[in-house]
Amino acid sequence: MDQYPDENEEFELQYQDELELLEDVPQEYDNVVVDGPSTSRQAAAALKQQRQQGGTPTGTVATAAIQDVSRFSNSTLSSPHLSQITFGASQTDAGGGGPVNRRLFGTPRGPTVGRGCSTPLQRLPGIQETAMDTAAPLPNSASEQLQEVGLRGNNKRRLERDLFGDIDDLYHESYEDPLLKKARTEEQRDNEAIERILELRRKLRETGKTVPHDEVSRLRALHDFKMKNLSYQIPTWPFLALQRSDLERLYVRYHSEDYERRQLELLSVRGNQVGSLLGEAKQQVWQDANELVLRRLTSATQPVCAAPAPPSPDMGRLWVDKYKPRKYIDLLSDEMTNRSLLYWLKMWDKVVFGKTFQSKQEQKGANTGGAGGQQLNSFNKRTGKFESNGGWRQRKQRQALNTNVDELGRPMQKVALLCGPPGLGKTTLAHTIARHAGYNVREINASDDRSPEAFKLALENGTQMSSVLNQDKRPNCIVLDEIDGAPRQSIEYLVKFVSDGIYSKVKSKGAKAEHNVLRRPIICICNDIYDPALRSLRQIAFVVSFPPIDAARLAERLLQISHKEHLKTDFGSLIALAEKSGNDVRSCISSMQFFSAQKQSLTLQDVLNNNLGQKDRHQGLFDVWGAVFRIKRPKRQLQQINSNNSEEPAQVTMTNMSVGTRVRNVLDVVHSSGDYERLTQGVYENYLQQKMPDPNFTGICEAMQWFCFSDMVQHQIGRQQNYSIYPYLQYGFVVWHLLFATLAWPKIAFPTRGFEFNQKCTNQLNIFQSLRKGVTTSAQGVGQGTILLLDTVPLLKRILSPQLRSVAIQLLSQKEQYDLRHTIQVMVDLGLTFVQVKSAEGHYVFQTEPDLDTLCAFPGFAGLTLPYFSRQLIAREVDLERIRRAAPKGDATKSTIASVTVSAKKPEAARLPNHLQTLKPKQVTDFSSRSGPKQQLTKDFFGRVTHKTTAATAMDEVKTDAIVKSPIWYRYKEGFNNAVRKDVHLNELL
Amino acid sequence: MALWVDKYRPRELSKLDYHKDQAENLRNLCKQSDFPHLMFYGPSGAGKKTRIMCLLREMYGAGVERLRNETMNFTTPSNRKIEVMTVGSNYHLEVNPSDAGMYDRTVVIDLIKQVAQTQQIDINGQREFKVIVISEGDELTKDAQHALRRTMEKYVATCRIILSVNSTSRIIPAIRSRCLGIRVPAPSESDMAAVLQNTCKREGLVLPPELAKRVVDKSERNMRRALLMLEASKVQQYPFTAQQEIVELDWQVYLRETATQIVSEQTPAKLEKIRDRLYELLSQGVPPNLIFRGLVEQLVNNCDMSIKAKTLEFATQYEHRMQNGAKHIFHLEAFVAQFMNIYKKFLAELVMTDDF
Repeated sequence: MDQYPDENEEFELQYQDELELLEDVPQEYDNVVVDGPSTSRQAAAALKQQRQQGGTPTGTVATAAIQDVSRFSNSTLSSPHLSQITFGASQTDAGGGGPVNRRLFGTPRGPTVGRGCSTPLQRLPGIQETAMDTAAPLPNSASEQLQEVGLRGNNKRRLERDLFGDIDDLYHESYEDPLLKKARTEEQRDNEAIERILELRRKLRETGKTVPHDEVSRLRALHDFKMKNLSYQIPTWPFLALQRSDLERLYVRYHSEDYERRQLELLSVRGNQVGSLLGEAKQQVWQDANELVLRRLTSATQPVCAAPAPPSPDMGRLWVDKYKPRKYIDLLSDEMTNRSLLYWLKMWDKVVFGKTFQSKQEQKGANTGGAGGQQLNSFNKRTGKFESNGGWRQRKQRQALNTNVDELGRPMQKVALLCGPPGLGKTTLAHTIARHAGYNVREINASDDRSPEAFKLALENGTQMSSVLNQDKRPNCIVLDEIDGAPRQSIEYLVKFVSDGIYSKVKSKGAKAEHNVLRRPIICICNDIYDPALRSLRQIAFVVSFPPIDAARLAERLLQISHKEHLKTDFGSLIALAEKSGNDVRSCISSMQFFSAQKQSLTLQDVLNNNLGQKDRHQGLFDVWGAVFRIKRPKRQLQQINSNNSEEPAQVTMTNMSVGTRVRNVLDVVHSSGDYERLTQGVYENYLQQKMPDPNFTGICEAMQWFCFSDMVQHQIGRQQNYSIYPYLQYGFVVWHLLFATLAWPKIAFPTRGFEFNQKCTNQLNIFQSLRKGVTTSAQGVGQGTILLLDTVPLLKRILSPQLRSVAIQLLSQKEQYDLRHTIQVMVDLGLTFVQVKSAEGHYVFQTEPDLDTLCAFPGFAGLTLPYFSRQLIAREVDLERIRRAAPKGDATKSTIASVTVSAKKPEAARLPNHLQTLKPKQVTDFSSRSGPKQQLTKDFFGRVTHKTTAATAMDEVKTDAIVKSPIWYRYKEGFNNAVRKDVHLNELL
Repeated sequence: MALWVDKYRPRELSKLDYHKDQAENLRNLCKQSDFPHLMFYGPSGAGKKTRIMCLLREMYGAGVERLRNETMNFTTPSNRKIEVMTVGSNYHLEVNPSDAGMYDRTVVIDLIKQVAQTQQIDINGQREFKVIVISEGDELTKDAQHALRRTMEKYVATCRIILSVNSTSRIIPAIRSRCLGIRVPAPSESDMAAVLQNTCKREGLVLPPELAKRVVDKSERNMRRALLMLEASKVQQYPFTAQQEIVELDWQVYLRETATQIVSEQTPAKLEKIRDRLYELLSQGVPPNLIFRGLVEQLVNNCDMSIKAKTLEFATQYEHRMQNGAKHIFHLEAFVAQFMNIYKKFLAELVMTDDF
């Protein structure tokens, strides 16, 4: 009570000028607020003191009382603490509170009312009319006051609502008059009041009648509030006694500080400033309000400004930026995705921050003495737990996050790869989560130089250094945005870097053996995960694919934004917008801003009629094929809403199934992909699998015509570079769609047949070419090109398949011997031989080289039918025959071979070219060492003579063939061994 | 020279087995001093190449038979490396431009022109010009043919060109008019039988005339094919019997089976199986026009008279389109589908008429 202004002061104040009074208001009421009377007794004492001063002249007392009250309200208006009380008092009730109220405040005269004091209650009928006031102005003077009251009621309500916003019109109403009051008569004041009311009303109408409709209930609530806080009798609660103009005493309740705070909280919650609840914000508002008051005082004659909410100060800012999520909780993307990424990032904690990361589940498990005590504990136990928990971890399995860690405590997958269509918030997610997990984000995106060198530098800097200048020593987390556009070498480097394949340069010099270990998480972001450049990265990365955002969830967020930005819209149109843009958040917000800048509203019609938010999306091949083979389901929720709203509902619903729409749709989709050749191939390989009622093949024939047509067009384009006929390619898809599309979901397989075919063709061609190259000049009759392939090869397979028994060559019958010789001759002529290869099953098989069996091989037709043994035999013989042919054909060789070689060989040997005669001296050595070479060759590898070989040679003497006689088989193996070197002449081997 | 085709190939004009009048004319041609560019045309296996070689031997002597293989490398203007295999002697050079595919123009410009420009070194040789033999000349693209025509005229003093083609229709008129066309018709059946008998005699084998006739029938009057078939049959079974099985060409059998399947069933599923078979044929290097021909022959044989004409009409239509396209499978399948269509209609009508 001490701090409370004593009666003398207060009494003086009552007689003072309003201006003076107002200047004192803040401090005075600060005091009041802070140190309200703590007990009712103190209040009663104060009242008594006041009563002693009661003998003042009536008139002055009346005005003083009014002023008192008005001051009270003034001060409360400028002070947020008591505003509720006063505003509550200014409201009224249609019910039984009337008499009390009348007694409470008496009948105020015009000016007081006009001053906006808190006594509208005495006019009960008028109060009844308040709701109607705004709509129906009453012209007669008797009701003017009622209007005024009602209007003020409205205004005040608005003021209350906009407590922290539009203090100006509040101020006008309540405080303009007192300044001028002294100089005016009542009539003048009345006129002024009327004018102002009319003015206000006009403005109100202009601003679109923002009066809430639940007036009555609100009034009732406020009246109740007032009833609690004002009393005629001495109340039980702490109070402040006041005397009204009609000398009635009334008691205004004081509240404790706690209560005030609570009320304030309520207020501020009701207001918009969720973020800054208390403290500075309140002070801020307080100051602002005071400033406004002062400003209004200095320029008091300004007209009432009831303009709509002023446009947001930061018009220049993009909404996308403005409403970007800044906290984890704001993220709009799929919770599952967020959490799995966060989990992955948290797994780095051990390396980066040196503290082990344990998920809550694990901790719980550890606490309960469960299975998964340790972080590095087996995965199975955890999965068991995950299963019991359900939730995101189960699904995380699908995301393929390997929760195991390597020896350094890093997660096995050292890179996270976020992928998804644009506008889903991948970059935002990466940034937010990295910051959330305590990292400093370093972003490298497409705008940076990403040549391999620069990329390398950035990576190394990012992972091994930290900023010196920066105050917070947070570890870095590299975010590689738009990585699918980076050069392939850079990505390869990244892969190597991540898999610890990069050793520091020091090591390569041999000084230090430590290599760079990646100790910082790297998050990559891409749109198309199947980009060929990303293939290697994809295998080692933790791939997080972004599911599309739920349209409803997106629309909710959009609605919030639209509220904040005062954009008039509704949920339905926002959902439509979201769906139209393919749930692209960025595109949606930008569209909204566009509409907001244009006309402050966004209706469904706008969304549907404008080309906004539509992206030229790149459609996957399967999407296009799906669109070709499937009739899109015509009804979607959105479309139906649309049909209700638009003028021609019938048309909207009908067009979806009509041919025109389908054609347009197919053309759109096909257009968006553009790769007509592959698309055609896909349709070609899938159309026969589609269900179609086409018993007579008419449809198929028509489709085939179009296939032929598109092939011809493509061929022409390719050949003449005549792209003017390119547009005609797309219409084939329309025909195929109309022929084969069904409502059912089509089964579409990726077209591999054409590719396989091409590969096989190339393969065959290569084999054939090598066969052609091998054909010697003595076999020119087999033809070249297709003749060789089509006429000779199939028959050659038969010719080269003589029936030979699997016995030693000496035991073959005459005919078999002949066949064998013949086969060998043919093979040598055509440059064929058998080589041993390992088959896929691991067996060794002899295969012709070049592989004759694959040429002209049709399923169900036998190739070469020779058994393994015969092939082996022939292979050996062919080798020998080749050497024989290549060797100089002297007398000696001829004489030894003559007995067995076919007669056909003779003329060939006879026709020895002259230039080969120079090699004759070798034959001399051959002659001289006729018995020699056998001696020589009986030595083993290191030159020691072995007895066994002599025995073998003795046995071989029986044989007729000089080559078969030889104990050593010569076979050329590629590569060389220089451990032991010895010159061996060909003749010695033969 | 182990294959009979090579072994018993006539090497001199006087030893040719058939078309002896023509051989006489050729010999006369050699005797004259002005030897023109030649174009041998006729079906495959008729003996064009044999005649060319005989002619060359007649002109240059036995030196022509000393052949060597050479592989030449070229770089196309688009920086693509191509390999061309040539066979040649001192007097002639044989090229097969189809090795170069669509880049045969480079071959013509680089190789042929180069050879044509060089003078014959050996003055003692009988002729002062070399001969370039272009086998499978009808595979030459139009570009290459145009490149050839000027070369033929300009270097006529040092070089003659002998084209070996199956059909003159694919040779541009400009070239046709510059060459002396020599038609080598397929040997008559009796000629072929005689050749087969002769061959067997020289091999020391006994060939029943019935078998010889059957081989001739199977070979479609293609001498090379007949000899290879005979040799294959010999490997399969000897001594010969009149009714023994003759080895046939796999792809022909496969094609025939395909045609039979087309007639047997007409459903989309079947069409897909047919497509697989067509793919198989194409990937094995069977030219699409041969596939077309084989299919049409079989289908026309197997279907009713009333739809034969229609089948042929569609076949020509699709075959023509195929020549303008690149993906042969589309056109082949289109034809098959079309045939299935008309065949089904025909069957339906048949059922209808039977009912009434």
